[in-house]
Order: sequence, then C-alpha cells, then structure tokens
Amino acid sequence: MSSFHLARAMAVVWKDFLELRKNKGLLYSMAALPIVIVVMPIGVVYAYVSAPDDGNLRLMAQYYDTTVQGRDAVHFLVEKVLSDWFVLYLVMPIFIPILISSHAVAGEKEKRTLEPLLSSPVTPLELVVGKSLASLVPSVSICVLAFVLLCIGVDLVAAPLNQGLILPNAMWLFGVLVIAPLFAFFGNGVAVLISARVGDARTAQQMSGLLVLPLIGLAAGQFGGWLKAGVAYYAMIGFFVLLLDIGILLAARRLFDRERLMTRWG
Amino acid sequence: MERQGIRVEGLAKRFGERTAVEGLTFEVAAGEVFGLLGPNGAGKTTTVRMLTGLLRPTEGRAEVCGVALPLADEGSALRSRVGLLTEQPGLYDRLTARENLRFFMRLHEVDERSAFGIATHYLERFGLLGREDEPVGGFSKGMRQKLAIVRTLVHSPQIIFLDEPTSGLDPQSARVVRDVVAELAAEGRTLVLCSHNLAEVERLCTRVAVIKNRLRSVASLTELRKAGSALEIRVDGEAAKWVPTLAMLPFAPSSHHEGSLLKVMLTDDTQAPDVVQKLVQTGARIHSVVRAARPLEEAYLELVAEDEGERP
Repeated sequence: MSSFHLARAMAVVWKDFLELRKNKGLLYSMAALPIVIVVMPIGVVYAYVSAPDDGNLRLMAQYYDTTVQGRDAVHFLVEKVLSDWFVLYLVMPIFIPILISSHAVAGEKEKRTLEPLLSSPVTPLELVVGKSLASLVPSVSICVLAFVLLCIGVDLVAAPLNQGLILPNAMWLFGVLVIAPLFAFFGNGVAVLISARVGDARTAQQMSGLLVLPLIGLAAGQFGGWLKAGVAYYAMIGFFVLLLDIGILLAARRLFDRERLMTRWG
Repeated sequence: MERQGIRVEGLAKRFGERTAVEGLTFEVAAGEVFGLLGPNGAGKTTTVRMLTGLLRPTEGRAEVCGVALPLADEGSALRSRVGLLTEQPGLYDRLTARENLRFFMRLHEVDERSAFGIATHYLERFGLLGREDEPVGGFSKGMRQKLAIVRTLVHSPQIIFLDEPTSGLDPQSARVVRDVVAELAAEGRTLVLCSHNLAEVERLCTRVAVIKNRLRSVASLTELRKAGSALEIRVDGEAAKWVPTLAMLPFAPSSHHEGSLLKVMLTDDTQAPDVVQKLVQTGARIHSVVRAARPLEEAYLELVAEDEGERP
C-alpha cells in the first residue's frame, strides 16, 4: 500500500483551483444560486415587515396556525419563512459541489488529461482527496458567506419589528455549520462518483443534479404545511445524509481504482 | 544515472472475453531505443499502459526500472521513474505552459527550481521558450505535442515511453524530437517508441518488437531485414508492365514500381538470377540491377499479415 502524500493531493487542489479561477462561465453559474438564495427571503421578509397590518398576512398565518392573531402574524410568518427557507438553502451546498465536481474526473476524461495524470505518481486516493477539497472548500465558503449576507440583510429589513437579531438563530447555525457541510460532502461525493463512471462532465452534472429533487419535495411539503421544520427535523435529515456520506466513502474506495478510471468511458 | 531496463515475460491483457494482447516476452536493455510496432488495435498502447502500471496484466510478469509487475502497491515508485508521452498531449487548456509543467513537477514532488532548469532546456530546443506564460489553449497542435514531451521529461525519468512522439509535428520539429531522443539514449536513458512511422523507427531504434495482439517478432533491424533482400531494376520504359511477368515466377515475389524503376522483394537471395532471366526472356531491356537491403516496411507488413494469409 503506497503512503498518502499530502503534497500530491495539494497539487491537485492547486491545479483545480487555478482552472476554476480561469473558468468564468463556471464562476458565474456558482454565483447565481447564492444570489437567489440570499435575495429572495430578504425580499419576502421585507414585504411582510413593510405591511404589518395587511389582513392577508393574518389569513396566511392562520392557514398554518389558527391561533395566530393581529400583528403576531408578521412575526409568525417571518419566522416561518426563515425556517422553511433553510431547506432551499441546502440546495446550495449540494448544487455548487456538483457544478465543480462533475468536471473532476469526467472533465479530465473529456480533455484527455486523465491518462497523463494517472501516469504520474499520484494515487487514486490522493486524486479523490484533492478533487474533493477543491470542490468542498469553495462550496462551504460560499455557503457561509451567503449565510452571513442573509443574516445582515434579514436583520436590516426586519429592524422595524423591534425583535432584536432574528438571524442567526440556533436552527440556522446548526444547519450552516453541521448540516450544510454534510450536504456538501454528499453532493461532492455523488458528483465525483458519477463523474468517474461517465464520459463527459455534462452527463455527470445532469445525473448528479437529480439530487436536489428530494429537497424540492421537502420544501414543497413545508410550504404546504404538511411538514414542520425545526432543529429536530433538520437533525434527522442531517443524520440520514451522514449515513449516505459513509456509503459514498465506501463506494469511492472501491471505484477509485486506476484501471477502472482508465477503462470506464461511460 | 542508474541504468535501468525492461524485462517482460508472457504478459497478457484481457478485457472480459476480448484479448488485447498476449504472450509478450521481450527485454529492453538499459540505454536502448526500442521500437514497439504494430497496426492500430494491435495492443501497443495496452502494453505501454501495463508497463507503466496503468493497467494490471491478466497474465505474466514484468520488471520495469527494477519494479516488479503486477504491482504490489499503487505504483507511485514506478511512475516516478518512468515518463509517458500519451498519444494525445492531454494538456490543461486554461493553464499556461508553465502552470501545466509546474502541476506535473508537484505531482512528481521534484525540486521545482531544477525541474524548471530541465524544462527550460527542452522548451528552448523546441522553440517554446518565451511562450511559457501563454495559455495552452492558444497553442497549435505541434506546440502542444512539444510541450507534452517537455512535461514527460521534467522529472528526469530513467525509462521513457513515447507514443507517436512526432505526430502532428512539422519536419523541422520532428527532427528536433529525433535529436532529443538520440541525446536521451546517449545519456543512458531507456526509450520505448511506439510509432507507425517506420522511417523514424529505422532512424532511431536499435531493436523492435512487432506485435499484433501477440508478439510477432523481436529482433534488431538488421535481423529483420536479413530475412530477405530487394532488387532495384531499372528497365526501359514503364516498369509497371513487367509486374505480371513477375507473378508468373514460381515464388511470385512482391514488387513496387515507380517510373522505370522496378523494386522486387526476395525472400531468398538465390531468387535474383531467376527474376532477371524471366524479365529478359519476356523482352525487358534492363539498364541496371542493384541489390538493396529489404526495407523495414516490407518485413513489418509481412509479419503483421502472417495470420491472415495476406501478402502485403
């Protein structure tokens, strides 16, 4: 068994970062989703806060909870939208690694760079660690940055409620610091594995992209009032994703074999 | 530099039911330039991939640079001692030439300062010095091929596998590559050259292995040609009209013609008088007859056509 050389894994990280920095199209795609994820809830909170006496708000709040009355409706709805929005925020730590990692192995195959790369001393484990770090570091950083911007934006527009800081709260902190990295690991792992099996980055991206569908389903359930989000709810989802992450690690150990990578072309 | 060679015994590779190559047994001496010849799909690339540890042999064993195959580990030690120029240059288009080279220096964990010294030497030889900070995406096919060769050499490999090294190069650049190959051999490096360019193989290699899914021959170029010779006969008028006459001979030699020159391949030197006599009998006016060495191409075509009952 060859020993793990961090320097070789870091060489892969360096090269992938360099390629990412020079790929304007990919950078724009990566920026688009966080902008939407941050701007939309701020806009919704602003809409609620700017018309606190609107009767429609009370009706909306009572759809979810019949005991809500008067100005409490605004507080209730702001809390509800931020709690439900977290599931859509989780799309980000899955989606961004998919964008990057789909290029990981399939991109190397497409550019015919995989054979020279595999003929160097880098081991498959060093390669997968390097590729994963190059995807996870920017993804998690973007998620944290988006969260900071969301906190600032929400607290600014919700200031008239005189409720103090609405964000960060325990659920979001737990989500951003624990659940989001687990999701990022999951999105990256699936994209890298699919990328190793198919012949081109676009197919890898399309196949991995299907991962966001369950999250959209959860969001629909929450907005429809059938699922009630909270720390316990997201902790349960996080635990499920942790199990999936362990499965991915086991699969990666088996799949990341030099010969398999060389001979699998989709 | 420690001189290292290659020893291959009964090497085979199967992908499911399909046999890519089998029964390979040959040796490459340290410091030798060895040619690996064979038609498309003959198993040359598979052989090189096995010898560089990219594919596991299904059968047989080998020793490359003192490392035994099949590999007992990931093979990093082997790959740090060999250099492989793949059929496709495989460069990162968004990165500059310098960044492409630096990436491989880091993968090989060599001292970047001395590796850049090596790279600069070859970049200059290939006329790429001054272009190293340009993105590779803007390079021509020939420039990319030359940069890929530099990348193969930056870690000072002891054994170098070159798959079609002059592919896409203009004659001048191809000559520089051939000169570099000769210099590397003079330094004591072992080179394995996969090529369809038989003229290039004739110029560079001391010995060749001809494979077509199995080993057809391993011999020096002199031995390969020794199996026969050629007669270059200058006749009056177009040589083409005497080709049917040659077919009437009991040993029916193969032949080529160009203007008034008729080139007749002989499997046995004693056939020469019969060829000349037959031509004279059927009315050919002969100006000159010269005995020439059999071209490598002829020997090669004969070897790869053996199984199919073909004649080249």
